[in-house]
Amino acid sequence: MASSDIKPTRSGLMIVKRRMALAERVHRLLSMKLDGMMLELIKITDQAASERRILEEKYARAREMAAIATMMEGATGVLLAALSVEAVPTYTTDYKNVFGVRLPELEPLMVKKALIERGYGILATSAAIDDAADAYEDLLSQIIATAERDGMIIRLLDEIEGTRRRVNALEFKVIPELAELRRFIESHREEMERQDIVRLRRIKKIKERRR
Amino acid sequence: MSLPGLISPSRVYACTRFRIRRTKLLSREDYRRIMQMSVPGVVTYLGRQEDYQEIMELVADYSGARLIEVAANRNLARSFQHAMTIATGELYTLAGEYLARWDIANVMAILRGTTFDLPRQHIRDLLVPAGELDRSLLDHLLGLTTCDEAFDALRGWRLYPVLEEYYQICGEPGAFARIENRLYMRYYAGLLNLVASGCSGCAELNTYLRFEIDMTNMKNLLRLHCGEEVCDITTVDRTMIPGGRIPIDIFRRLYHAETEEVFTGILLQTNIAPTLARAVRELRHDPGFSSRDAADLIWQRWHQHLRPVHEIVMAITRIRLRELESLSRLHSFSVLPMLAYLERKRYEVANLRAIARGKAFDLPPERIWPYIVL
Repeated sequence: MASSDIKPTRSGLMIVKRRMALAERVHRLLSMKLDGMMLELIKITDQAASERRILEEKYARAREMAAIATMMEGATGVLLAALSVEAVPTYTTDYKNVFGVRLPELEPLMVKKALIERGYGILATSAAIDDAADAYEDLLSQIIATAERDGMIIRLLDEIEGTRRRVNALEFKVIPELAELRRFIESHREEMERQDIVRLRRIKKIKERRR
Repeated sequence: MSLPGLISPSRVYACTRFRIRRTKLLSREDYRRIMQMSVPGVVTYLGRQEDYQEIMELVADYSGARLIEVAANRNLARSFQHAMTIATGELYTLAGEYLARWDIANVMAILRGTTFDLPRQHIRDLLVPAGELDRSLLDHLLGLTTCDEAFDALRGWRLYPVLEEYYQICGEPGAFARIENRLYMRYYAGLLNLVASGCSGCAELNTYLRFEIDMTNMKNLLRLHCGEEVCDITTVDRTMIPGGRIPIDIFRRLYHAETEEVFTGILLQTNIAPTLARAVRELRHDPGFSSRDAADLIWQRWHQHLRPVHEIVMAITRIRLRELESLSRLHSFSVLPMLAYLERKRYEVANLRAIARGKAFDLPPERIWPYIVL
């Protein structure tokens, strides 16, 4: 039932009071959820910042290792080793529930490999290729970890935005409107009561006069 | 056929030409000059060299470090094929066996490219036709659509029996690495067999090759031990090249050694520690670095699951090459001058590649210099 359809009666007042109580409870819960999500966001943002710093370090190391491998084996040797990769690195996706928000969890799959799993022949390559492969495997794992944190932040921010809109709607529109409606119904009912009293007095006076 | 004790004129001619060709390779001064140049400067410098005409041929298609690397690879292929035309008799046979290394690399690149369906031009750029398999055969192989067809087309290749023995299914996981390892083992076995057949300078060459095998085995042992998951002994057995001066059993014992005393004790019985000590003495200008220190250094890296230090590996290569050259001067009309030239040429190309790539990554000259083999 829309607010405009509520009649200024006792039952209307009860409906408004019930709605008011519900809105206040929802507001309190959403505010708590918002605070919780904000705390979670701050925690994940700190982690994401540190993950990104590590990512930059690992990227710099991977570049350096690639430079050394390319110097020692040539771009040809590095490319041939890269072409030997048989199991393509990937990741699996799962979700964890935080305050009702599905946050992504990414698990690297076939990213870190032992020397014999890499596909290149050990006798055709040097340790520089192993170092470069190690560095890029670390980088790839870190990219996945960073993407996981970034995904969490994006989801949390979306949810925070939606929740904040709902909290604001409750706080600045729904609850004030219901309060206004309650005041209106209460004053209207008081007015009706006063009119009733006046009417009863007049009826009483008319009856006394007839006697 | 020449009389015993007499050296055939063709051998004298070939060895003299190889010695002269070796003197025409880039010198230490050239490298010092190149090291101070930018990548375009190196391209210009090499373009002016008589021996690097490939730069001018490729300048329209490639640029920068890639141009230098492709030109150097083509120059290597041309120089080696020219060396084959100079070599006669046992020199020719030995050169053919030595150059099979490039055939292995080319064949593996084609097989992998065909299996993973990579663009053929991409694979073609990676090939260095310096061996028995010439450009036309490699182009024919590149034109084939499946690796089964490529295997069939390789029936005439000297290392085909290895492919036949270890190839089962196209694209089977780990098959290419296994085949590649076996091809290199057969390559070394072929070289050692040829050297054992007896020729002038073959005894010295045998020592050189066996030492190379020892160093390769030691490096690979460190590589296999590195990482979170240490491989099992069967992998070590499959990876060690037989034929070195150090028996495979010593490497097995090293692999199982758990204390520093045992490890360094075994290592000090081999020729690895003294050579490593010499390399470190040269690299760090530390005359007091002994074989014992070298053994300790290897133990430290072994214990911490670390790989060999690249700079030390390069220093050992420098020592190996210098020894080969001094032997080739002692045995002027043996197979050694040819091998010394082929090895020097191989490392000249590696040096140019290292300089070009190092400069492309903005590394300072002092960082690139340890990777230069002189």
